[in-house]
Amino acid sequence: MSSVIVLTPIIIGSFPAIAAAVAGVAGSMGFAMLTPDNVPDSTRAEPPSVTTVIANSDVVEEELSHGQSIRIERDGVVLEFARNPRGECTVCATGSRSKSELKRIAEEASGRLVQQFAYHKLVTELKHRGYRVGSESVESDGSIQMSVHLG
Amino acid sequence: MKKPSFDITIDKTGRMTVHVKGSGGKACLQLADMLRQIVGHEESRRLTSEYYSGDGDVRIDANAPNATNREVS
Repeated sequence: MSSVIVLTPIIIGSFPAIAAAVAGVAGSMGFAMLTPDNVPDSTRAEPPSVTTVIANSDVVEEELSHGQSIRIERDGVVLEFARNPRGECTVCATGSRSKSELKRIAEEASGRLVQQFAYHKLVTELKHRGYRVGSESVESDGSIQMSVHLG
Repeated sequence: MKKPSFDITIDKTGRMTVHVKGSGGKACLQLADMLRQIVGHEESRRLTSEYYSGDGDVRIDANAPNATNREVS
């Protein structure tokens, strides 16, 4: 009595939801959250940067207006999550690395943001419907596995 | 009857694979639809052999006209 479905998450969220997912990205990738007061000097010298757009994303404008962003940092690489004029969520990687390396980091962060957003949304919605998470784990390949059951 | 449950894997790109268990037939499809509404686009759906077993509550009436143990003249 079963079926298997494969789903691609859609990221539609307000700033708090995106911020929570970014915190999850920082934790899973070893980055630290940045405030405007502790932005590294390397980001002010205009080092190379690469920006990626997260597919199927729509950040609610009134919550995260144009120009606002969230920054995280690791080993001199800064990831900036923002909303572009089209409402999509973007990830900009900046630091003293090659463009290809920055692109790889930005794309990994984009994937992790989708993963974290989908995880939080699914767990929240299923709990509202009376389901409980029985077990969950993070595997060596970075995937999240969990078992959810009714009641 | 078993309660519905899900085994969920979310890979590091966010792609989600869900095994819906404990519910057959139309109810199973409704659970899959619910997950799609929560998460987003559905890439694929595969029904396992268990799906076709209905809700698991199978009865056999030995006195029914088509019962396999009837006498053959």
